[in-house]
Amino acid sequence: MSDLLYLYGLIPTKEANEKSLPSMKGFDGEGELYTIEIGDVTAIVCDLQPNEYSEETIKDKVDNDMDWLQEKAFHHHETVLMVSKMYTIIPLKFCTLYKNEDSLKSTIEGSRNKLETTFTQLDGNEEWNVKIYCDDKLLKKQVSESNPSIEAKRKEISELPKGRQFFEKKKIDQLIDRELENEKNRLCEEVHEKLKEHSLHGNIKKNWSKDVTGRQEHMAWNSVFLLPLSNVDEFVDEIKQYEEELGHAGWKIEASGPWPPYHFSSFS
Amino acid sequence: MTVRESIENKDIALIDILDVILDKGVAIKGDLIISIAGVDLVYLDLRVLISSVETLVQHKQGTRKTVTSDQFDKEREGLIHATGQRDKWAN
Repeated sequence: MSDLLYLYGLIPTKEANEKSLPSMKGFDGEGELYTIEIGDVTAIVCDLQPNEYSEETIKDKVDNDMDWLQEKAFHHHETVLMVSKMYTIIPLKFCTLYKNEDSLKSTIEGSRNKLETTFTQLDGNEEWNVKIYCDDKLLKKQVSESNPSIEAKRKEISELPKGRQFFEKKKIDQLIDRELENEKNRLCEEVHEKLKEHSLHGNIKKNWSKDVTGRQEHMAWNSVFLLPLSNVDEFVDEIKQYEEELGHAGWKIEASGPWPPYHFSSFS
Repeated sequence: MTVRESIENKDIALIDILDVILDKGVAIKGDLIISIAGVDLVYLDLRVLISSVETLVQHKQGTRKTVTSDQFDKEREGLIHATGQRDKWAN
């Protein structure tokens, strides 16, 4: 049985010929990465032993072996990131494996045009991620104190008999919660639109729960942008400005990047 | 250091990496189908959280070693004790 091929990413052969791939250890920590030229597209791969890496083995490790997943996920990320700094890369997802070279080649052949188009779209651009967190408690306080209709309602309530007050206060809490959500959406959308001005594309992603982030604050926004290299400085400066303006109000705006363009390399 | 460089040099958490590199809407499919649907990031098992926090801490201290399963076991015991939910976190 021939070795499996672990595919990290695809780069234009033209670029591969201009700069050779540096020496990098493969997925199993033993073999080295190497390239396979397939016409205008060059694949960046390493070999793996088929008996060690079957579908069941990998799935079992991903689900049950956190140490393994952590080590291999970092390996994949750092390898693809290093390649992305040297070439225009279409990055592949974790554990994209081929049974042999022929299978890899025919897959690439089948998508040749789309790959060429994608290379053109990615050339000279970078992917950046922006997450917005907010301190709900702090923001809620500000919303309830600065909103005139809420202030007016409060005054009304304070003049009611005690019994009525309890129920009216509950209604106000609901009003404040709604206003809080509105304010969060309003601000996140405003920031998103402003940042989008520097980008070619801006996509919104799912927010993560506190269980996942381990933070006190709520993740209010999660987004990813494809930016021309020349716009990155003004993009990050804009984010820094927002951080300074909004930090005291309980907002945290965090950018990470540059990422290999995982979100902008798909095509159907 | 420019703003860009300071962001570029920041450590990335395991969670950020998994969110991006796991199979969701792939363009090029491999031969092996590794369905990692179980790792739904919105409700991830706390184990991943523990390891990502550990990694961040250790990386900042310049000693990024993988979290050992002994440490996991200890943390799980702690969780069981704290939450009283034996089945959820049992080894």
